[in-house]
Amino acid sequence: MIRFENVTKVYDPNARPALDDVSLEIERGEFTFLVGASGSGKSTFLRLILKEDRATSGSVYVAGQNVANISSWRVPRLRRGIGVVFQDFRLLPQKNVFANVAFAMQVIGKSRSIIKETVPEVLKTVGLEGKEKRMPHELSGGEQQRVAIARAVVNRPGILLADEPTGNLDPITSMGIMGVLDKINQNGTTVVMATHDDDIVNEMRKRVVELRNGKVVRDEAKALYTSMIPVVGESRRLKDASGEELDRAAGVQQ
Amino acid sequence: MRLAFILGEIGSGLRRNLSMVVSVILVTFVSLTFVGAAGMLQMQINQMKGYWYDKVQVAIFLCNESSTAAGCASGAVTDEQRENLGKMLESPAVKQYISDFQFESQAEAFQHFKEQFSNSPIVDSVTQDQLPASFRINMKDPEKYQIISETFSSQPGVETVSDQRQVLERIFVWMNGASVVAMGIAGVMIVCAVLLITTTIRLSAFSRRRETGIMRLVGASKTVIQLPFILEGVIAAVIGALLASGTLWLVTLWLNGDLSRQFLNTPFISSAQVLVVAPVLIALGGGLAGIASLLTLRRYLKV
Repeated sequence: MIRFENVTKVYDPNARPALDDVSLEIERGEFTFLVGASGSGKSTFLRLILKEDRATSGSVYVAGQNVANISSWRVPRLRRGIGVVFQDFRLLPQKNVFANVAFAMQVIGKSRSIIKETVPEVLKTVGLEGKEKRMPHELSGGEQQRVAIARAVVNRPGILLADEPTGNLDPITSMGIMGVLDKINQNGTTVVMATHDDDIVNEMRKRVVELRNGKVVRDEAKALYTSMIPVVGESRRLKDASGEELDRAAGVQQ
Repeated sequence: MRLAFILGEIGSGLRRNLSMVVSVILVTFVSLTFVGAAGMLQMQINQMKGYWYDKVQVAIFLCNESSTAAGCASGAVTDEQRENLGKMLESPAVKQYISDFQFESQAEAFQHFKEQFSNSPIVDSVTQDQLPASFRINMKDPEKYQIISETFSSQPGVETVSDQRQVLERIFVWMNGASVVAMGIAGVMIVCAVLLITTTIRLSAFSRRRETGIMRLVGASKTVIQLPFILEGVIAAVIGALLASGTLWLVTLWLNGDLSRQFLNTPFISSAQVLVVAPVLIALGGGLAGIASLLTLRRYLKV
């Protein structure tokens, strides 16, 4: 579904690249966590998928298509196939829940009857039935993020990108959001989620891609937030910090 | 659905930016009023030219007792000289340029003079002898005045050859000047209008960056994202153009009302001629606003 081939992205020629020769494939229907410190290249990774930025070298394929070959007037079509969720929700404050979700369908020209039919369905999927008339400021953070997710998936994209969707939420609310994302993933949507939230990653046990300084340093299936296998050449400090986690992971596996 | 959506977006944009939109309307209104005024002055000039040029004549004034011109050294025109001039006017060399001519005797000149200045005391102090007899010539092409002038000025018995057009020409030069000034002011005002539209669209794009950001992400086309902004500028400018057209229409009403009663012999442009100017103003206003908005969006609204 998403394939990076030797992708390098340089913003400032004098600094190190934001992404450095990254090759990666994410299959259709997969749930992938993108972890790593701030500045490790997670956001750049997501931006390249959306064609918000151009790769300096290498190719990015989305749904089998090299995004570099998509002309600018066809970029909207690419983006219709990708839903995006952010840490700060990005709802329209003067529109109610229904209108916020409907907005995503209106701007691509969906008919009123289809909108009336689809929006309540999607709101039910994210667990917001009966709250169509609420305004964003009347909702809790978790509920606002559910609205944002509903908006991201209302046009049934094949891919859902989530950039730290639980960054502003408490752990329990975060787990609720993860439940929603998991449900969307079960329905066949490929989910890529950039996160710092180790509890969530450890709980979900999905594929984890770890980026550091623009390089993929780990790519494991059913993994934890920190590595279970010490990577050769990894710094001692990092190994020490993850030592406890390793023990726990070993325990779980036995 | 999409149309209703775009209209809704335009409405919310206009509401949010009301004071800026009003200023765009006013500036385009003033600038286009000047553009229209310049255009209508030109129309007025053409109208007057058409009206007067048909009526103006070239006059060959003949010497009378009191003439002082060089050609009149031998005193008043003799009958022989006069007949000679008449023959020259009939000759094929001259006849090709003129459509007809009449001879106006001193008695007839005096009669016309009395009619024209009937309200003025000057009539009492002028006698028939003081007025010159003349040939009044209607030209086929008024531009060929020079030929008549060259042929007849030096003939014996001719005091002067005068082209009534030259008097009008001075009025037209003045009116042309006024329309150039109006165009100059219009130019400056249009620059103001364009800059103001640019700023307004920029503000509008900034205040709605959340919406446009979301629109981009869910894959709205460039048209859907940009059109509301462009139409916002265009609508404001078109309202300004309509106000300008309305103002010009009021001016023509005034020309044809009060002013035409004071200047009975002046043909003024009719109110219907605003219908020629108005579409130009609307197209100009809308076009400029559209282009200005489009260029602004290219810089300030990422799509």
